[in-house]
Amino acid sequence: MRKFIRSIALFIPFAIVIYIVFTLIWGLFIPQKLNKNLNYRIGTYGHMFTRLHEAKNVREVDFLVLGSSHAYRGFDPRVFSQHGLVLFNLGSSNQTPIQSEILLKRFLKTMQPSRVIIEVNPFYFANDGVESSVDIIANSRNDLLSIKMALTINNQKTYNTLIYGLFRDLVGLNKSYVEKEIKSEDTYITGGYVERQHETLQWKPTILESQAPNEKQTNAFSNIILMLHEMKIPLLLVQSPITQELYKTYENRVQFDQEMRQSSTYINFNLEPALNDTLHFYDPEHMNQKGVEIFNQQLIFILQDSVLNGYNVQPEKAAQKAR
Amino acid sequence: MLFNSIDFAIFLPIVFLLYWFVTQKNLSLQNSLIVASSYLFYGWWDWRFLSLILFSTLVDFLVGMHLEKQENATRRRVLLWISILINLGFLGFFKYYNFFLDNFVSIFSLFGAKFNASSLQIILPVGISFYTFQTLSYTIDVYKRKLPATTNFIAFAAFVSFFPQLVAGPIERATNLLPQFYKKRGFSYDKATDGLRQILWGLFKKVVIADNCAEFANTIFENSADASGSTLLLGAIFFTFQIYGDFSGYSDIAIGTARLFGFNLMQNFAFPYFSRNMAEFWRRWHISLSTWFRDYLYIPIGGSKVGTWKKIRNTLIIFIVSGFWHGANWTFIVWGALNALYIIPIMLAKKNRNYLDIVAQNRVFPTFADFFRIVSTFALTVFAWIFFRATSLEHAINYISGIFSKSIISIPDFQNMGSALVTLLLIFGFMAVEWNGRRDQFAIQNIANIHSRPARWILYSLIIFIIGMYMQTYETPFIYFQF
Repeated sequence: MRKFIRSIALFIPFAIVIYIVFTLIWGLFIPQKLNKNLNYRIGTYGHMFTRLHEAKNVREVDFLVLGSSHAYRGFDPRVFSQHGLVLFNLGSSNQTPIQSEILLKRFLKTMQPSRVIIEVNPFYFANDGVESSVDIIANSRNDLLSIKMALTINNQKTYNTLIYGLFRDLVGLNKSYVEKEIKSEDTYITGGYVERQHETLQWKPTILESQAPNEKQTNAFSNIILMLHEMKIPLLLVQSPITQELYKTYENRVQFDQEMRQSSTYINFNLEPALNDTLHFYDPEHMNQKGVEIFNQQLIFILQDSVLNGYNVQPEKAAQKAR
Repeated sequence: MLFNSIDFAIFLPIVFLLYWFVTQKNLSLQNSLIVASSYLFYGWWDWRFLSLILFSTLVDFLVGMHLEKQENATRRRVLLWISILINLGFLGFFKYYNFFLDNFVSIFSLFGAKFNASSLQIILPVGISFYTFQTLSYTIDVYKRKLPATTNFIAFAAFVSFFPQLVAGPIERATNLLPQFYKKRGFSYDKATDGLRQILWGLFKKVVIADNCAEFANTIFENSADASGSTLLLGAIFFTFQIYGDFSGYSDIAIGTARLFGFNLMQNFAFPYFSRNMAEFWRRWHISLSTWFRDYLYIPIGGSKVGTWKKIRNTLIIFIVSGFWHGANWTFIVWGALNALYIIPIMLAKKNRNYLDIVAQNRVFPTFADFFRIVSTFALTVFAWIFFRATSLEHAINYISGIFSKSIISIPDFQNMGSALVTLLLIFGFMAVEWNGRRDQFAIQNIANIHSRPARWILYSLIIFIIGMYMQTYETPFIYFQF
């Protein structure tokens, strides 16, 4: 029995080392398509590399935005700057509260935002967070927070990508990487925004099944609220516009609104839409530039009005006022 | 509790340490630990159904004791039937009630009669088909005086509920497993490491092969109406490997886990996809169930030592019953009957005892003739699995007609075709390892013969790595849980 226990005790660290070695070999030499659970894609969809690189040098902003592609494709810093406001967009593909928490911990102290805006929708809470975690791992220098994020998500794909990401950071393989500003139809705009040149809606929505919130995500979301509360930074939750055709497929939208209202100040821009499905979206989930500008103006009006008049943002009333 | 879950990864070492360090000096205590941990293992899924296992255990224990003492043949027969009716009664109610009800209603409606019977919402207790057959084997063996009845209730309860094989087999014979609970088990380093090797291979089969194949098999079977013939054929092939990886993987984990605790369970799969005819396939597929039906059904109704027509009848009976055992659906019955039709010509030609050896015993590759036989047998099994996987007979027939259409000569096309190529590569590698290890109890048993420890450990680590790199990242239940 002793021999057996001793063998197991020796084998475990041995297997860990071999596992790491094979992961590095796979990451370096095996094409991405053949790596089911290692998804290290630097500089891909969403310009995350450039955004995080820029974020390191950003100081004192009025608004810090977090959320999924609805965020980084929906809040244009140029529109805010026209009103003398500085906005930085820290959205990332399929971002969930787990990643929002990590990003806030990384950047909140340096950016010192006057207000944090989180773009929320039912899928922000239901998603397992794997896709966004590997996006952040591949596009930033990893630290203890990355390890904490991987442990919270507890998914083999995140672990494998993190092992490979830590190795690349250690060896400095990404040092000379420069991401293109324009990729296909996407252009990166300073301040974390991604603009897409499309005029009108091109896709039909697929019906999205309503999903129960993931407990890990709701815990991370509670942590965010607590953290901002302790730092006395106001939090605004925004559900940005999507096509009405898609919005109506959200089965639990009423309950979701109630839960968000209980969490913080909340505005749902889909309740009384100012945008037209055909004219202001390039796909069912994302506004075109025209739509973004209308939505951002509307949001700025609500925010300025609430600040000038010294009252807290009242979602539906404020939205009505803006119209 | 699933073998491929974090819960089991915590549960197993705890039970292992308690078993060998705390209770090892007292056999009764050790058996009690097995019963307690087995009930915990089962109750993790739904504790309410523990009462069924307990009741079945009590009935068969008491029937066994009375059978032992009773000399009167009629009374002994009555006792045997009490056990059979109670055990099959539970199975019948939980598994087949709705099937029979729906079919009676359909038959009567054909003659214009109307019934207002409505189906019940019945939850099928996990593993009921397995432990029912295991306890029945005990009662029948005691009845036949092949085995003395046990007076040790704890040992008997441990035999019925032994957690490694409780929910999906192998269906152990009382003559093999029960006596192992009477004897003190000594820890064997070789046996334990061999057990771990088998667990590792079983896990690989389940989470890499079966779960990846399942993703594509499910997509194709669920969207079969729109798929091309070649896509449908690929879907059937994926299911063929899914069911093998899933079920034989479970068996490997069960057998390996039992070995960690000093028990020997029977081999349940012996490389069935290298079979050279269907008779050989059925000697190598789900061995514990096939031999159960052979010993407790086929032989009692006459077996093959009868005239030609009765031989055909007997073969049809055991295959149809075997199909029905798998599920309350006509698809399983047709699957069973189809396999009987495969076997009957072989039996009539007296070739069913051919190929008792290992294919290409002293060769690296099979002869061309053997290769052709393996491929033909594999094709027949793929065809039969379509009925097993389809949701209805109509679905199966449409699926098969879809395969035999012009679009069979086309490139398969479905969502995630790129990932499917990775899975095909994994299947190819898996079958190569299986071929290399076909002379042993499980494919990677021969790693033990490598003298260099680092070399052995690197191979184990490589398997762990492949599991980590290619596993599905969500928990998936075993297919056979539904049976």
